[in-house]
Amino acid sequence: MSSCPPHLAFIPADAQYLVMLAVMLAVALLTGQLTAGVREQAAEACRREERTRRLYRLAQDLAGSGSHWDAQRALDDFLQHTGYRAMLYLSNSAGEMTPLTAEPHLHAALLETVRRAEPLEADLADPALFLPLKASSRIGGVMVVTASGPASPPPTAERELFQVLASLIAITEERLHATEEVQASRDQITSERLRASILSALSHDLRTPLTALVAMTDSLVMADARPSASDQPTPMALAAIRDQARAIGHMVTNLLDMARLHSGRVRLRKEWQLFDDVIGASLRQLRASHPEQPVRTRLAEDLPLVEFDAVLMERVLCNLLENAVKYAGADQPIEVEAWPDGGWACLAVSDRGPGFPPQQLERCFDLFARGNPESSQPGVGLGLAICRAIVEAHGGDIRAENRAGGGARVILRLPLGAPPAFEEEEGEGGAA
Amino acid sequence: MSVEINVLVVEDEPHIRRVLQSVLATEGYRVFEAETGARGLIEASTRKPDLLIVDLGLPDMDGVEVVRSVRHWSEVPILILSARAEETEKIVALDEGADDYLTKPFGVGELLARVRALVRRRVRGGDGTPTVNFGDVQVDLVRRAVARGGEPVHLTNLEYRLLAVLVANPGKVLTHQHLMREVWGPGQAENSHYLRIYMSRLRQKLESIPTEPAHLITESGVGYRFVA
Repeated sequence: MSSCPPHLAFIPADAQYLVMLAVMLAVALLTGQLTAGVREQAAEACRREERTRRLYRLAQDLAGSGSHWDAQRALDDFLQHTGYRAMLYLSNSAGEMTPLTAEPHLHAALLETVRRAEPLEADLADPALFLPLKASSRIGGVMVVTASGPASPPPTAERELFQVLASLIAITEERLHATEEVQASRDQITSERLRASILSALSHDLRTPLTALVAMTDSLVMADARPSASDQPTPMALAAIRDQARAIGHMVTNLLDMARLHSGRVRLRKEWQLFDDVIGASLRQLRASHPEQPVRTRLAEDLPLVEFDAVLMERVLCNLLENAVKYAGADQPIEVEAWPDGGWACLAVSDRGPGFPPQQLERCFDLFARGNPESSQPGVGLGLAICRAIVEAHGGDIRAENRAGGGARVILRLPLGAPPAFEEEEGEGGAA
Repeated sequence: MSVEINVLVVEDEPHIRRVLQSVLATEGYRVFEAETGARGLIEASTRKPDLLIVDLGLPDMDGVEVVRSVRHWSEVPILILSARAEETEKIVALDEGADDYLTKPFGVGELLARVRALVRRRVRGGDGTPTVNFGDVQVDLVRRAVARGGEPVHLTNLEYRLLAVLVANPGKVLTHQHLMREVWGPGQAENSHYLRIYMSRLRQKLESIPTEPAHLITESGVGYRFVA
């Protein structure tokens, strides 16, 4: 049997070749390694660039966020498809944790993170990373990062990224917190001022009629106790008591309305309607207390539908009518007009009374402003302030002017907007 | 001869109860009192009153609840007493079948006027008179004809339907929702501007001073009321 050399075999015939082979192999391996390394670096650079871009976008989103929920949402957007989930747990001003969602099992770890002011790794159901939201003045809360699925590596693998995220969020939360505090102190100042002026108004305008009321009823009680029935309570005394009580009731109503409007808790029940309804209803109320008062109404024929809260607008109109009667007297006619003017529906109440003192034209809608501070007219100067609050809540405006020939006029305007469609009925011609 | 008219007052405030009792008694009504909704429902079924006066803010149950329960078995007129803050509940109560409302504080004159109107309707019942007169207007419900000062007035179909619903319920507050349903049919609640426009047209045709209506009265934020 002759031996033939094996096919396709690689048998170095010489030791020299063996060395060369080893060198070539080494070189090949090295270049391969290097190329792979470069490619990996390029991919890594791409990833970093992408991440930086997304971090930049997150920073932008956070800068524009107006609430804690916005911040959480921006964070959710950022972490989408990364395999991680982060929840924000915020401290309130008293330093207590107010979780955006209540999860009692996290509580101990959250408090521990705030106390240590350092990142904390905890193994609850899943490995979780607790990062304090450290801002310059305080620790605003904790960000808790968990893997969103079993396939994701534990969050500690991306620790650096999450620390960057935590500091971005911390800055945002500090900004939101500061804004809230400024708003709160502004509200505080406004309500302090309101309370002070209400108190001073109450002490004068409510106590005077109340004193009279108590005195009058006292005298009635004493008269009742006396055996001689000669001095029966006169109908006049009783009517005076009733009028005083009504005036006080009216004032309390106005005060409550004002407080409600100021608290911002009034929800407008706006509906599309015509001015005639509210004018008719207000005049009816006026008639109840002033049956003989002459009133002239002039409503434009082409008055469109306007969107407003009927109950509140009735308050406005009643206040304006009452003012007109109070200052103009019962024999001069009051005028009520309504007309469209460009994009506005206008409504005016005018009288022929003494008018506004010129320096008061601008200020008469301020809270507790009154034409003449020493006037004997009752009322705490709430009426016009309520009118303005209501009209402005509707996106309208209100102003006062003195009429040529004497008298006051108050004009309010409501925006017209786009009224809903109205179709005439078909085949009309039913009842004759 | 005089028929005794029974009024049941369901109100938790003792002062207001006492005032109502004395005012109504002076007018010749026989007054029963209940200070809770539960008590009120029992009294309503045993006393068979001709009128119920129900406060919306009861301690044990909503006044609306009382109205709803009573309406299951009785058509007795119900007058609601409400505080100013109970605007929406008032509308719910009216939608549930209450006939009228008074907002506290109210005058005695106003109270008695409402009570009289409701009792009159109750005593006279659905007399089914074929014609209704108010002001200088005559409505012939059989011939569907309306005349003013003897002259025929032309009303469109919807105008007439609206008028007919109103005059069939004199003194009763009809909510926007109720009127929309009766005249335009169900599912038209958000089109209440139609109601406002037709109401305005009815007033133009039938009221002597349309801007100060004497018969087709607006109840702001609630609905309309026909007063003969």
